[in-house]
Amino acid sequence: MEPAEAEFLAEKELVTIVPSFSMDRVHLIGGDLGPFNPGLPVEVPVWLAISLKQRQKCRLIPPEWMDVEKLEEIRDQERKEDTFTPMPSPYYMELTKLLLNYASDNIPKADEIRTLVKDTWDTRMAKLRLSADSFVRQQEAHAKLDNLTLMEINTIGTFLTQALDHMYKLRTNLQPSGSAESQDF
Amino acid sequence: MLSAQKPMRYGHTEGHTDVCFDDSGSCIVTCGSDGDVRIWENLDDDDPKSINVGEKAYSCALKNGRLITAVSNNTVQIHTFPEGAPDGILTRFTMNANHVVFNSDGTRIAAGSSDFMVKVVEVADSSKQKTFRGHDAPVLSLSFDPMDIYLASASCDGSVRVWKVEDQTCVTNWLLLQKCNDVINAKSICRLAWQPGSGKLLAIPVDKVVKLYRRETWDNQIDLSDTSITQPLNVVVWSPCGQYLASGSVNGSIVVWKVETQECIERMKHEKSYSICGLAWHPKYEQIAYTDTEGNLGLWEDIGGGKKPNDKVASTVTKNYEDLFDGDDDDYLNGDMIEPQSSPNAGANEDHGDDGDLMPTSGHPRRAIIDDDDNSLDIGMIKANSNLLEKEEDDDDDQIGGFPALPTSSTQQPFYDGPRPTPRQKPFQSGSTPVHLMHRFMVWNSVGIIRCYNDEQDNAIDIEFHDTSIHHATHLPNSLNHTMADLSTEAILLACESTEELASKLHCIYFSSWDANKEWTVDMPKDEDIEAICLGQGWAACATSALLVRLFTVGGVQKEIFCLPGPVVSMAGHGEQLMIIYHRGTGFDGDQCLGVQLMELGKKKKQILHGDPLSLTKKSYLVWAGFSAEGTPCYVDSEGIVRMLNRGLGNTWIPVCNTREHCKGKSDHYWVVGIHENPQQLRCIPCKGARFPPTLPRPAVAILSFTLPYCQVTTEKGQMEEQYWRSVVFHNYVDYLSKNGYELDENAKSQPVKEQQELLMKLFALSCKLEREFRCVELADLMTQNVVNLAIKYASRSRRLNLAERLSEMAVEKASELATALGDEEEEEDFRTHLNAGYSTSATEWGRLPGRSAQQDQEMEEAEESDGCEEAEGMPEVPKQRPNPFSKAVSSAEVITPKSAVIASSSQGRVNPFKVSSSKKDPLVPSANVLDTMSKYSRKISSSRAVNKQSSPVIKPLIPKPKSKQASAASFFQVRTPSSSEKRVGEREEKAGNEPPAVQVTAQDNTENKRPKTGFQMWLEENRANILTDNPGLNEAEVIKEGMSRFRILSTEERMVWTEKAKGGAVNDLTEDKKRKRPTAAEDEAKKNEEQKSEDSNVSKKKKPLDQSTNVRLSSFAFKQS
Repeated sequence: MEPAEAEFLAEKELVTIVPSFSMDRVHLIGGDLGPFNPGLPVEVPVWLAISLKQRQKCRLIPPEWMDVEKLEEIRDQERKEDTFTPMPSPYYMELTKLLLNYASDNIPKADEIRTLVKDTWDTRMAKLRLSADSFVRQQEAHAKLDNLTLMEINTIGTFLTQALDHMYKLRTNLQPSGSAESQDF
Repeated sequence: MLSAQKPMRYGHTEGHTDVCFDDSGSCIVTCGSDGDVRIWENLDDDDPKSINVGEKAYSCALKNGRLITAVSNNTVQIHTFPEGAPDGILTRFTMNANHVVFNSDGTRIAAGSSDFMVKVVEVADSSKQKTFRGHDAPVLSLSFDPMDIYLASASCDGSVRVWKVEDQTCVTNWLLLQKCNDVINAKSICRLAWQPGSGKLLAIPVDKVVKLYRRETWDNQIDLSDTSITQPLNVVVWSPCGQYLASGSVNGSIVVWKVETQECIERMKHEKSYSICGLAWHPKYEQIAYTDTEGNLGLWEDIGGGKKPNDKVASTVTKNYEDLFDGDDDDYLNGDMIEPQSSPNAGANEDHGDDGDLMPTSGHPRRAIIDDDDNSLDIGMIKANSNLLEKEEDDDDDQIGGFPALPTSSTQQPFYDGPRPTPRQKPFQSGSTPVHLMHRFMVWNSVGIIRCYNDEQDNAIDIEFHDTSIHHATHLPNSLNHTMADLSTEAILLACESTEELASKLHCIYFSSWDANKEWTVDMPKDEDIEAICLGQGWAACATSALLVRLFTVGGVQKEIFCLPGPVVSMAGHGEQLMIIYHRGTGFDGDQCLGVQLMELGKKKKQILHGDPLSLTKKSYLVWAGFSAEGTPCYVDSEGIVRMLNRGLGNTWIPVCNTREHCKGKSDHYWVVGIHENPQQLRCIPCKGARFPPTLPRPAVAILSFTLPYCQVTTEKGQMEEQYWRSVVFHNYVDYLSKNGYELDENAKSQPVKEQQELLMKLFALSCKLEREFRCVELADLMTQNVVNLAIKYASRSRRLNLAERLSEMAVEKASELATALGDEEEEEDFRTHLNAGYSTSATEWGRLPGRSAQQDQEMEEAEESDGCEEAEGMPEVPKQRPNPFSKAVSSAEVITPKSAVIASSSQGRVNPFKVSSSKKDPLVPSANVLDTMSKYSRKISSSRAVNKQSSPVIKPLIPKPKSKQASAASFFQVRTPSSSEKRVGEREEKAGNEPPAVQVTAQDNTENKRPKTGFQMWLEENRANILTDNPGLNEAEVIKEGMSRFRILSTEERMVWTEKAKGGAVNDLTEDKKRKRPTAAEDEAKKNEEQKSEDSNVSKKKKPLDQSTNVRLSSFAFKQS
């Protein structure tokens, strides 16, 4: 899976916007949206929010967790714990990226939030690498990782599985090496 | 409770705080670990003045306009008060100072630092310093002797020392406290205090007691303690009179003792049990401000309140009594409560006379109000006043409760004890925040937002539209200093008050103008200030200080002027309507006395509300006035009650929402920005700890729902009643708008009626279940006719004969009302048009009937399903009622038509044959007409039912005890067939009117076996024998088939005769006994039941063999007819 795909999935998440136009309920395959009343908050998927925002048709209200204090707490918690802590949203990274890119003017302290989320992300990635490392080192057969988000799995998934494949190959080649060699030569 | 503990509020970030009052007691000053000093006008001050004094402030002291703070950069600073300008550094330490205090005249300060030193510095000349060395650990607290001779200090080394200030010698040294190495580790910060006045006593909080040491002898005079104190005491503070001593503990309890008697007179518990680290006694009133280590500020009011002795003797007696039972205190184990002890302090009052004694509680707030009168400019002040008044009321209540006849104490100046006038609330614009704010909302309404910035760099107005398609956002310079604004979809209206040079101006930006000039300005005459403005559709209005309302067109033409009976409070416009709220008079005891005018400025200008009194919650003031989006006047008072004009009840006001019920905290409010009736939405902004929102961060709108304050809304009945009346109230606008020539789509009109009738039907069903038949009739009175018919059906199905009968009477009455309403013109029209007219008037009702009734039927079914057998037994009741209206109908020929129409609707086409006969001249067409509507109706019902419940019997009264599968199949057949055949009948009749009516009747009748007897059935009964003898081998179905073909062969007249026979004796020209059968049956239950039984058996006998295929065949047969 590509990161772009994960982002695509994240765009289905709902965010609240304050539209600056008036429109009746829109009936879409994925469900009904609206009605849009100017000045009245309404929940829409991220893709629509971004599209409207780009056309300056709405103002975005950041998700509740996209708040410096809450993110600081999450980051500290993440640093404190050895395991992964639950994230405020399964798409926290994607949403942060999308919303901050397109609607940073509607998000107070956007830069701080960006840094905080990045910090959290880095912490989690470090943990992930560490656990992958110990997984390989200890030659475990299986491991359980809770609270990983799709994007995080995505970053390591391909690499890890391939690496494990390779190692498996190497190991299987290694074990019967004596007999195999003798047969080959 | 005699004393009032107000909820605490956020003051500073978490950490150590300190609190003091200013000299006059007009404000509370706090400092905290955020390094700010905040100046609070009162506890509800939402916008305290903040002075940043450093990174952390440890202690502050205030006297003579100087604010001394000990801050984290190890200095002791001076700031001017209340401006907050830095005024130099008094002294420095090598560590931070922990406590600073003033001496009694404010010329010197003492500071104790963590570097073990205590310094005394002249405020005027910081070079004159005295250093006190001797403590071996950080100094915790200090206290200046009021005589300025001694200085007491407490330190972490466990010692409390008294120093002679002059020569910096240690006079005495007690080892009282637990030793520790730093202030943060200290069990108690040991804020000790000298008794004010002569300084006879020094109070030191030592663990759980307050030790009082006598001056000079330095011996421990008294220990004050209380059982409610379970943790070490932190702070001690004397009342300004020196009689009372308050102490706060580390677990949040505050106790007040009367020193003389050593009795505890008040106890209080911090709401969250945080450690009290700051206590300050109000210099005049019996209030204590306290802060905790979490940065919260609290105020404890009316300490010792209501303890006025009403009789000296009595009080002495009580006092003695109390002395006897001193141990009573031990009972007060419940520290969570403020336990005022009724310990009269008469003796104290007498002894100490006027010297700063506790004053009677009720006197002060009033005085304060009058003092405030001149500067009560904004809502905050009014709020403050109303708070004070609230408090006052509490006092009064308490006093009345405690001492029925309250005499004025000898120490008091006599004061007027009657109601006090309330300061009038100032004019305001709805949806604006206070004018004094630098960044404020000038208006927030359903169109947009106007913000005003008024700071050093900028004085500007920002206009933003919710719907950017109306107009783009605009930024205007605010050179004229506009303070009022209104916004509509066509214009922006701004106004400013007059200044010394400039007159008060009204400024309008009419952006939807088609010419180039989009702005106009009007100057008010000299000495006339605009106080409120509003915009309507095509007009603008302003109310001025000259009690005038001036109307303008939106293009700037001056129009009418009229006088207001009193100073304006607020104005609002919507469409053609203008609402003005003004002061009708002076309110008393916190109430406002407001009046409201509502006028229509359209073609026919008229006044709808002629200055009626505006009902406000007690002791509240108006905070919002405006119209709902649909144009109904609404207003909101400071208690959060939203009221709306109920045009359906003679323009009265009805409370539709209590926003405070939705608030989480006590100091939270909802700031209303708009009201919508359809959908029912109260748009408002939640404000945490404030009455209005700040401009930044941009507040988000929340939606509240409306609730009428009906009783017992927890019960199903109450809930539905509330819903019903809410629906009624919130759809008054439909009538109003249509009366005023606005076009509304049918849906908007019919939707609410449908909703209301649905609720009524549910209520009806509920009352039925509860055996409240009288209530059922009352409910039915509110229903529309068709729903009454449903109700009749329901009642008859649930075997409430009496009820059903009464309801049918009511239905007849309703019908006749409807008929009279229809007017005389119909008499001239032919029958058909008459009927058409009759139906078209209620076209919407008819139109929407099917869906609803289907739904309701379903509900009823659900309700009924519990008692299955009963229903079947209950079925005879439907026919039973029919005769009643009929006989009446016959007697009064004039009313026949509408009545029969009603009945037709009630019995769903069953009566049609009767109709045919009753209107003999044109028998076919009208009946076809009625049938049309009715058959459609019943068809839809039955088909929807058929869809919903394939196998279950649907029209219950017609089903002969659906016990077996066969029976239910038969019933199914019965239901289905009429629908198809009736439909056909309708179609056929539309196509060709010359079809013999009997055929129609037959087709209908033979399929509609639900009818106890149809013409065909009767005929069949009589002729069955013949058929059977002719064709002996026939089974039931074949008999019927054969019968049908035979019946069809009969002449029209013959068939008519049968049909009319079946219809019973109601028909004028039929008098045979057989026809009498039905009415008699109606009167005689027993007989009827018998008949019913026989019918039942008949029907079931006949119907049993019929299966789906016969059904199909039958219908195809009927189709051939057309």
